[in-house]
Amino acid sequence: MVSIATARIKREFKEVVTSDELTKCKIKLELLNDNFTELKGEIGGPPDTPYEGGTYQLEIKIPETYPFNPPKVRFLTKIWHPNISSVTGAICLDILKDQWAAAMTLRTVLLSLQALLATPEPDDPQDAVVANQYKTNNKIFVKTARHWTNIYAGSTLAAEPEFDSKVKQLIDMGFDNHKSRVALSSHLWNVEHAIESLYN
Amino acid sequence: MEKRSTKASSNDPKHKHDPDDEDFYLNNDDDEYDDDEDDDNDYDDYMDDTDDLEYTSSNASKYDPTPSVEIFTSQNSTVTPNSSYASTSLKNLSQSTTNQPDLSKSLTKRNIELDEEFKYEVLSPDKIVQYMTECIADVNSVLELTPTITRTLLHHFKWDKEKLMERFYDGDQDRLFREAHIVSPFRPNTYKRTTSSQSTRSSRLKEFCCEICFMQYTEDNMSGLECGHKFCKPCWREYLTTKIMDEGMGQTISCAAHKCDILVDDTSVMTLLQDPIVKIKYQHLITNSFVECNRLMRWCPAPNCSNAIKAQYFDAQPVKCDCGHVFCFSCGELWHDPVKCKWLKKWIKKCDDDSETSNWIAANTKECPKCQVTIEKNGGCNHMICKNQACRSEFCWVCLGPWEPHGSSWYNCNRFNEDDAKKARDAQEKSRHALQRYLHYCNRYMNHHQSLKLEQKLTASIREKMEEMQQHNMSWIEVQFLRKAVEVLCQCRQTLMYTYAFAFYLKRNNHSIIFEDNQADLEIAVEKLSGYLEREITSDNAVETKQKVQDKYRYCEQRRKVLLDHVHEGYDKDYWEYQEDL
Repeated sequence: MVSIATARIKREFKEVVTSDELTKCKIKLELLNDNFTELKGEIGGPPDTPYEGGTYQLEIKIPETYPFNPPKVRFLTKIWHPNISSVTGAICLDILKDQWAAAMTLRTVLLSLQALLATPEPDDPQDAVVANQYKTNNKIFVKTARHWTNIYAGSTLAAEPEFDSKVKQLIDMGFDNHKSRVALSSHLWNVEHAIESLYN
Repeated sequence: MEKRSTKASSNDPKHKHDPDDEDFYLNNDDDEYDDDEDDDNDYDDYMDDTDDLEYTSSNASKYDPTPSVEIFTSQNSTVTPNSSYASTSLKNLSQSTTNQPDLSKSLTKRNIELDEEFKYEVLSPDKIVQYMTECIADVNSVLELTPTITRTLLHHFKWDKEKLMERFYDGDQDRLFREAHIVSPFRPNTYKRTTSSQSTRSSRLKEFCCEICFMQYTEDNMSGLECGHKFCKPCWREYLTTKIMDEGMGQTISCAAHKCDILVDDTSVMTLLQDPIVKIKYQHLITNSFVECNRLMRWCPAPNCSNAIKAQYFDAQPVKCDCGHVFCFSCGELWHDPVKCKWLKKWIKKCDDDSETSNWIAANTKECPKCQVTIEKNGGCNHMICKNQACRSEFCWVCLGPWEPHGSSWYNCNRFNEDDAKKARDAQEKSRHALQRYLHYCNRYMNHHQSLKLEQKLTASIREKMEEMQQHNMSWIEVQFLRKAVEVLCQCRQTLMYTYAFAFYLKRNNHSIIFEDNQADLEIAVEKLSGYLEREITSDNAVETKQKVQDKYRYCEQRRKVLLDHVHEGYDKDYWEYQEDL
């Protein structure tokens, strides 16, 4: 017997792949195995946000009890966002937890995630450092997020050349590329503070 | 009708945790109706209900959910009324009758002198359901709603009838229903489900798409709640089963539609579900939330016991379940006089910290700042919502403060703080020193704890000795002093055990020195009594031994009372100062 989960994923998959509306929103879905338990999602950064131009890969795992329990979703592409961990890609979104409803679909999940990129919820943060920056130093936050989009999500839009040079400065000191960027991002791009934190 | 008093239980030397001993009483009670100390009512009850006794005593400790399958529709209970009372009465009766006359007289006297009574009842699973149904019916006689709506409303107010009544008649009823996540039964409902008799032929044949599985179904196969969201029956079944079996939700299952918070009602659950195991689990969850949300009720914590205790008011008092387990009504631990619940909880947590399990608990869990339930965070963000049905508080995992201000001032629980790290190191230094002190108390506490565990073994060996002495020239009644001695011993050990938890948090002052003297005195006497019971009982010098043992246990009993009275007096007169930071 085909389980409800499999039957549903099959139909949902078809729906997402064939929908013009979704292609317009830059939403894609890809199957990773034959038994419909692992998928790869892709969403485009929404326009007029620091994520514009970026493409974000998502890991989607379908539990056996789907759709009665939410799918497990995580960002594979690194992103600077208050509700998404800059380290693990874990997402803080109510519909992926207790607000999940059986009538929701992968399509709604992907659209919700896209909406989350457009409207962060800093009061319900996953990454406290990012959320703090978002609230207290929004300008730097926007720049940092754009920089990350550029580096990790393949955006070709305006980069932050000064950030690049600062990262390079740290790399020249022998630090790891990504670690340097995280340290700088977390310390408002203050090189001294970043170095201090890297040494600790 | 069940009356017990604090001192009756705390001083009653017949306290047993050993189920075997219950049989012991039951088998022997024929011999001793020459009792004149006991309450007449108990006696009458006993006579009236003798026939039921065997049934109850054998069933009391098993949760048999079958009779409660129809709990929400019928109020009939299959258990003979009063049978659970009767069995406790019997225990009371047989307990006091086995007392030596002089002793029971002094006990009774003490009770009268000292006590305000703490009244409570033991409820078997059927009785719990019956009581819940009564509560619902009681409210319903005024509100005139369906039982399931009333139950949900009552749950919303943590089973506080007065609060519900007040809100129902004084406040905005629509808002009340909205808050309780119910569709108001008074509002004309546009979605009102059409019953199959009303639906026309054509609409019955019309196909609907279930939004969960995306399959087409005829209307007959679709179902929904008052909110009007419809899904196919197999999906409903699966949804409810997941919620009930996997997530352990009973009271708080809402409609499967997105953003719909209307709660499922009992009738829907019962008609949609087919698997009896799931149905029983659902009922169990409902009963569980009834007991847990109710301040005046508490589950018996003994393993495999499914009784609950219902008290008249909330207090830290000893209660005895029908299964024989005696525990504190306030915290559920073994009855722990003289130490108070708060300190005992601290102490137990501290003691447990030694084991691997508790290391894990310490590393991976925290306690809900509101209800103290232990919580493991298994993913997601720091915004925690307590799963305890009675609590549901929202707090921050990092700082354990309420979640509310985190929107604006969560900055405090930001990353690692240098000062805090230094403080932590200083604290570690101090804790080395504190450890020595802690070990002193812990070793002694554990020692008594261990001895208590061996109680069963001792009871068995004493029973053998009693048999042996009866073979010689002593009568049954003459050897009863031995069992009494074991009981006193266990009771004293239990008290002593908890005195160490008490003493650990105590600041040194004149009264704490008196307390320690009392403690030492009792401890020496108890060890002597223990020695007698383990070694020196022989049938050769029976009369002499009897005298010695009797003197000793009476002395122990007296010293135990002195110690407890002193602590209680201290509570009344504020002698005790505590070291909060241990």
